Amino acid sequence: MIFPKATISEIIGLLEAVNDSGGIEDAARLAADFDLDLQEILPSIDGAELLGFAVVTDGNIELTADARKLLDSGIRERKNIIREKVAGAEIIKELRNKLLESEDHRMKKEDALKFVQERISSDDIESYFRIIINWTRHAGLIGYNSDAEEICLMAKA
Amino acid sequence: MLAEIKNVSKTHESNGNTIQALDNINFSVEDNDFICIVGPSGCGKSTLLRIIVGLERPTSGEVLFKGEPISTDNPKVAMVFQNFALFPWLNVTENIELVLEPLELRGKKAENKACKYIKAVGLDGFEKVYPRELSGGMKQRVGFARALAVEPVLLCMDEPFSSLDALTSQNLKDELLMLWADTSMPPDAVIMVTHNIEEAVYMANRIIILSPRPGKVVADLRIGLERPRNRKDPEFYRWVDKVYSLIV
Repeated sequence: MIFPKATISEIIGLLEAVNDSGGIEDAARLAADFDLDLQEILPSIDGAELLGFAVVTDGNIELTADARKLLDSGIRERKNIIREKVAGAEIIKELRNKLLESEDHRMKKEDALKFVQERISSDDIESYFRIIINWTRHAGLIGYNSDAEEICLMAKA
Repeated sequence: MLAEIKNVSKTHESNGNTIQALDNINFSVEDNDFICIVGPSGCGKSTLLRIIVGLERPTSGEVLFKGEPISTDNPKVAMVFQNFALFPWLNVTENIELVLEPLELRGKKAENKACKYIKAVGLDGFEKVYPRELSGGMKQRVGFARALAVEPVLLCMDEPFSSLDALTSQNLKDELLMLWADTSMPPDAVIMVTHNIEEAVYMANRIIILSPRPGKVVADLRIGLERPRNRKDPEFYRWVDKVYSLIV
């Protein structure tokens, strides 16, 4: 499986840019608008697709109704929408289940890295781990304690 | 009137040479002003901002805040920095609580205040995280939360988006404008320095253009575009062109 190396902020930034173009935009043109190479925005496009905020056909990025709802919402409400979407991503669903099954809802970072490596084959698993934690912290689902080097389920605020 | 920049000039001494950075700057800041200061690089716009918040003294002239000379410890003026300026050994909450100490806010009160602004900028979930673990976008959100937590009347920002990648920067600009549109939130006025003309037209309701060094005010424009603004709108581009033409 491929997991996009894009933060939630980058993904929302991309959606905002597509929205400025009327809800649909050519990916190459959008990259050029930002003085970026297409390669540089691909992870954000993949992220938007994975979270159900965009559909990509023939190089065109089109916003979904959920993306419009997200963009019309304030910062608080956006968090709730993100939470719901991130919770639905396959790898995060599995990781949460694993944490739920464990006695104290915690997992050592090295075990979490192994878990990610089994699903995303990469020699740069650390940066995938960071992105997954970026998503799950945003969503208030899974946190990471860098002192204890362990991830844990977050209590819903 | 909230603040007044009166006849502000600044000269630097360098290798025995005197360099004039700013030349007789005058303007006033009113409630609801979102001012962007733009100008070619080296025109002294960041120096001007540092003088406005009291971090530097002008060679001549003065800055008045609500009629009184500005001082560095004025809690009604807060600053957001380009490079975030977070303490690496403090977590998100601690970075914010630190600025509340001089306001005699400690313990539970400080925690509640920090919590309020952490939520306002969408940082909840990151409370105990250290800066090294944060992406640039999240670091600058801490910068915003920390500045807002003192509930400033005037918020000054020095190139707050220029250390961020283009997409993150787009996201943060929109979120900052959402906070600005929320009248229950501080501040009453913003002064932001940027080298990016499009960004200035996107954010500001007033743009002050400085000349090349020594910086002088060459134009003070009211941007009449409705919000939310659309970067693809032809009217938006007319404003961008207008500002460009005044700078070059």
